Amino acid sequence: MKLWRHLVFALSSAWQSFWRNAAVSLAAVGTITLILGLAGVNLLVGHTLGGILDQYKSRVSVISISIADGTPMTTVFDFQDQLRADPRVTDIRLITKDEALARFGSDPQNADIARQIEGNPLAAKLEVHVAKLSDVAAIDAEARQWRGADRNDPTDYQGEFIGRMLRLSQWVNLAGAAILVILLVVSVFIVMNTIRTAVYHRRQEIEVMKLVGATEWFVRGPFVLEGILTGVLAAGLALGLLMLAYRPFVDRFHSDLFFIPLGYDPTFVTELARDVLVTGALLGALGSYIGVRRFVRI
Amino acid sequence: MVLQADFVGTRPLISFQHVWKKYPNGTEALRDITLTVPEGDFLFLVGPSGAGKSSLIRLLIREEKPTKGKIFVDGQELGRMKRRHLPYYRRKVGLVFQDFKLLPKLTVYENVAFALRVLGEAGSVIKARSTEALQTVGLADKLDKYPRELSGGEQQRVAIARALVHKPKLIVADEPTGNLDPATGWEIMQLFLQINHKAKATVLMATHNRDIVDLLRRRVIAIDGGQVVRDDRASGYHEALAASGLRA
Repeated sequence: MKLWRHLVFALSSAWQSFWRNAAVSLAAVGTITLILGLAGVNLLVGHTLGGILDQYKSRVSVISISIADGTPMTTVFDFQDQLRADPRVTDIRLITKDEALARFGSDPQNADIARQIEGNPLAAKLEVHVAKLSDVAAIDAEARQWRGADRNDPTDYQGEFIGRMLRLSQWVNLAGAAILVILLVVSVFIVMNTIRTAVYHRRQEIEVMKLVGATEWFVRGPFVLEGILTGVLAAGLALGLLMLAYRPFVDRFHSDLFFIPLGYDPTFVTELARDVLVTGALLGALGSYIGVRRFVRI
Repeated sequence: MVLQADFVGTRPLISFQHVWKKYPNGTEALRDITLTVPEGDFLFLVGPSGAGKSSLIRLLIREEKPTKGKIFVDGQELGRMKRRHLPYYRRKVGLVFQDFKLLPKLTVYENVAFALRVLGEAGSVIKARSTEALQTVGLADKLDKYPRELSGGEQQRVAIARALVHKPKLIVADEPTGNLDPATGWEIMQLFLQINHKAKATVLMATHNRDIVDLLRRRVIAIDGGQVVRDDRASGYHEALAASGLRA
C-alpha cells in the first residue's frame, strides 16, 4: 500500500515537473529524439550493410575445387567423403564436366561461346560449402594438396578478397558501435542537465522533503521517472520518424541502387523498436540518476 | 555518563560528549561541548552571532557529523548513524526555522500534509493528523489559504504544525521569532510552551530574543567561541551572558 502511494506520488510529481519546465523538457525530448533517430539510422544502415556483407560472405564461403581430367571416380568419392566428415564443411556437391558445361551455357552471355566450343574443356568440380569464412583458407590448402586437384587451377579461392571482406565487416561493426556509444553518452548528458534544471526548480520542495524525513529514494524517484519519461518519449518519437522514413526510403531507392540488396526487414524493425525504447528508458534513468545524485544527498 | 543531580531519574534525550566541530577551512565552530538535555526539557541556546549555535543545531539534526566526540539523541549515536537511517531519525525531530520554509504553491493544509505524504501515510491518517496539528496552532480556519496570504506569525504557525505532525520527541527551533514583531514572537513562544507542556515534546530553541529568555526563566545555555560558557537551569539572557563576561 505504502509502495503504491509512493509510486503515485512519484508519478504525479514527475509529470508535474516535466510540464512545469515544459520548454527545457521538450527541448531535451527533441534533441534526444534526433540523437536516437540517428542511432536508429545507424543501426538500420549497419543492418543493411551487414546483410550485404553476409550475402558476399555466403558467396565466398563456397569454394569449388577443379578436378583434373582422368582422375578415377573412386579418388573423387574418397576425397568427397573425407570433406563431408570434416565438421567445418556444411555441404559438398560434385559437378560433372557435363553439368559444368550446361551451367556455363545457361548464362545468356556465354551462349555464343558455348555453341562454338568443341568437346568439353571444362573441368569437373567439387563445390564445398564452408561454415565459417575464416576456415575457407584451411579447406583450400587441403584441396590443393589433394592429388585429384587440377594442377593449373586447383581452386577458385580468393584469399585476399575474403581477408578484405572480413576486415571490412569488422570495421563496419566497430564504427557503428563507436557512433552508437557517442550518441548515447551525449543523450545521457542532456538528460542529466535537464534533470538538474528540474532539481533547481524544486529545490525548496527537496529541502523540505529532507527536513521532514523523506528517504533519498523518495526524493530521487520523481526525477528518475521524469528522466525515464523524457527518454521514452524521445524514443517513441524517434521510432515514429524512423518508421515513417524507412519504408518510403527503401521503396524509393530499391530500383536505383539495384546492386545493393536493399530490403525492408519487418523482424529487424520489431527488434529495433524494442531496443530503441529500452535504450531511451535506460539512458533517461541513468542521466537523471547521475543528475540528482549529488543534490538529494541527505 | 555523569548526570546532574536534578536530571537523575529522567532519561536524557540529548547528550553531547566532548563534541568538536572543525570545518575544512580551519574554523573551529565547536570546542569540547558537553551537555545533557533530559526528556521534556525546554531550553534556550543563546550567544552572539558566529558563536556556534547554528553549528550545534546542524550537528543535532545530523546535517553534519562532529569532528570529535559523540552525540546521542534518544539512545542513538548520530555520528555512527548510517545515511539510510537518517530519514527515520529526522522523523523524530520537528524543525522550525526563522524563514519558515513553507512551499509557496501549496496551501496551509497541503504544507502540513506534505510532511506525511512524503512518508507514504494513508490519506485518512494524513487528514486526521494534519487537521489536529493545525488545530493545535490555531489555524483550523485557514486551511485553504496560501502562505503569501498569511501574516508572518501565521506562517510560522503553519511551520510549527508541520513540525508537530510527526508527533516528534524533539523540536529544534532556530531563531523562530527572528522575523516576527515582539507581540507575534511572544504568541509563538506561548505556542512552544504549550507544545512542550501538552505534547511532552522536548524543545531546544536558539534565539536572540532576550526579552523572551528573560521572562520565561527556563534553562539557558550560553555559547561563545564554540564553547558552553554558562548552563543555568533557570536564568535570563543577560545573566547568562553577563556572568561569563560577554556582551549580549
